[in-house]
Amino acid sequence: MSIRWKSLIAGLGVTVLALPGLAQARDFTIASWGGNYQDAQRTVYFAPFAKSQGDIRILEETYLGGLAQIKAMVETGNVTWDVLMIERSDLIVGCDEGLLEELDWDAIGGEDQLVPQAVHPCGAGNVVVSTGFAYDPARVKEAPKDYADFWNVEKWPGKRGLRAMPKSTLELALIADGVPLEQVYEVLATPEGLDRAFAKMDEIKPHIQFWEAGAQPVEWLAAGDVVMSTAYNGRIALANEEGRDLAFVWTDHTYSMDSWAIVADSPNKELAVEFIKFANTPEPQVEFPKHIPYGPTNKQAVERLDPEASKMLPAGANMERSLFIDEQFWADNVDRITERWNAWIAQ
Amino acid sequence: MSRVSLYLSTLLLVALPVAYVAFLYLVPLGGVALRSVDNSTIHANLPATASAIDEAGAPSDEVAAALAKDLAAADRRSLGELARLLNLDAPGMRSLLLKTKRALDEVEVKGLADLRAIDPDWDEPIYWQALAENAQPYTFRYYATAIGLDRDPAGGWQFGAEGAIYLQILLRTFWMSLQVAVIACLIAYPLAHAIANGPPTVRVLLLGAVLLSFWMSILVRTTAWVVILQREGLVNEALMALGLVREPVQLIFNRLGTLLAMVHVLLPFAVLPLLNNMKQIPAQQRDAARSLGAGPFESFLRVYLPQTMRGILVGAGTVFILSLGFYITPALVGSPGDQLLSYYIADFMLKQLNWGMASTLSVILLACVLLGLAVAWLVNLLWRPAARAA
Repeated sequence: MSIRWKSLIAGLGVTVLALPGLAQARDFTIASWGGNYQDAQRTVYFAPFAKSQGDIRILEETYLGGLAQIKAMVETGNVTWDVLMIERSDLIVGCDEGLLEELDWDAIGGEDQLVPQAVHPCGAGNVVVSTGFAYDPARVKEAPKDYADFWNVEKWPGKRGLRAMPKSTLELALIADGVPLEQVYEVLATPEGLDRAFAKMDEIKPHIQFWEAGAQPVEWLAAGDVVMSTAYNGRIALANEEGRDLAFVWTDHTYSMDSWAIVADSPNKELAVEFIKFANTPEPQVEFPKHIPYGPTNKQAVERLDPEASKMLPAGANMERSLFIDEQFWADNVDRITERWNAWIAQ
Repeated sequence: MSRVSLYLSTLLLVALPVAYVAFLYLVPLGGVALRSVDNSTIHANLPATASAIDEAGAPSDEVAAALAKDLAAADRRSLGELARLLNLDAPGMRSLLLKTKRALDEVEVKGLADLRAIDPDWDEPIYWQALAENAQPYTFRYYATAIGLDRDPAGGWQFGAEGAIYLQILLRTFWMSLQVAVIACLIAYPLAHAIANGPPTVRVLLLGAVLLSFWMSILVRTTAWVVILQREGLVNEALMALGLVREPVQLIFNRLGTLLAMVHVLLPFAVLPLLNNMKQIPAQQRDAARSLGAGPFESFLRVYLPQTMRGILVGAGTVFILSLGFYITPALVGSPGDQLLSYYIADFMLKQLNWGMASTLSVILLACVLLGLAVAWLVNLLWRPAARAA
């Protein structure tokens, strides 16, 4: 879950954080995404962990995505965070560039207890975040069922909300164009496939309203600004708990994982390892979706989920038609494709 | 006081501000400029490859062995960074280098065949060309991308299929800033006039309103526009209630909304210099002009307006320069087609970790502003004697 415009604002803050501070002998510090996401983590992870370690003090910070801040910390030798919750794309690049510690998987409970996609040399996947599309049933005559319907502007006139980035959007264009899920990245890797994706994007270009922050689709759907919009499943579920009545389409949703990782040269590495070990266990993981509707990564936790509650979670039957975002593909191709994307938007 | 001691005391007085500007402004600025051509990460970590490879990047056993030696010696942090940088020139090279490095633990690379055994992609000339192009400690890669140049297969430069996207965005940045400056001045002029010459209660109220919005956070003011202009927002509800439109009008997430919000955020910067200027113009001048036979329009045009030119220029100039660096407001109320260059600088800096590209775009923006100032200064220089002679 990336909150992009907030991270823009935080750009100013990066400079301030990069200034040398009091780094030695500080409290164990965890950085996460703020809001009710971090509130849920505090209840489920931070507080019980602090207690189990003899009532240690845990400092919390807010992280807004990207690697600029972590790079600044590691390069100036002023590492002020120990553990952070990081998006998969940043996890992969951060790991390759030595900005994150490599994990000893035996010390954090072994690879086997998590689903395979959650295992990475530098991070333990903890939260499954899904992006499907949502609409307000009161504002449409007939329910749209899949991305072919999302692209059908004749039957469902109105603006479409899409995230303002090529990653996870071009995939949808290919899916809407009839490419089977398992071939999406194969096709996207070829020049013809990329042309095909952009040609499909052309079809709805005048109808797109791009979002940057996860809260925007919910606001827009509620205000009737857009007829359908891609959105994080958790945002829609929370909006519905607060009295909205939005429908979420799970067919062909894309999903990724937020992982716990340790900042390179963390002075509290032992505690950080203990924390991730605790976070990988089924008990807190099965508790977490009760506070915020995102899916667990521990295999036992997945099985123990309440079937009624898991209807709004990226778990169980909802995962039957889903695409795991291929972050390796994007790490290799993001510069090239982003340039074309920017040019496409400017046309 | 002798002349020498006068110079000395002046020098002492400016020493602190000069040191301040030099260290906190010019040094970082120089750092940004250096970063826009810096290629030391690649050069410093691939020394053997750089000396072994020829300009065309022809693969040979010798180069392959040199590359393997460099990769084996590179630590994780620098290898990751150099792989990401080379990936800018040759998509896919990131994975290729990391995979090769991992394989080196088990395989000894003596020649090309061993590299090809690790990954057949080493057959592709594009990767060897990328190595050859980066054999120097400096690079013009970022400037080339900024003006829309691509590598052609022969190793030279060609105009890319996408066109000069960043130059287009730069042009858009200047055009939108100019629009904001002109609109802001058109609104600020009567407002400043009312504050300068109106009855005392009106003056206090208006000045208070301007200053209040000046002190409020940009973010708050920008989000307020979202509420006002959205599809079912205040303006659209009012228009529909009055029967002026049947369907809600798209007022935000487009150019219109962006300009509206930017003008509002920057309005105080146009009002305050104008107000300062207008307050210094004696009210009697208007009476004098009128008594000499000028109508209200003529007295404004020939007596009042010329005296406020300085206020207009300072106000418009300030708004224009500030607009050039805007990114929060367009990011919140604009469509992707309304983003200014700063949006892309922030994106490269924070999201894509491409600090070279961010630096290059900053340098280009700064250079354009300096060029603009130089032209303005020249025009001013040439225009003045002509105006005096007339």
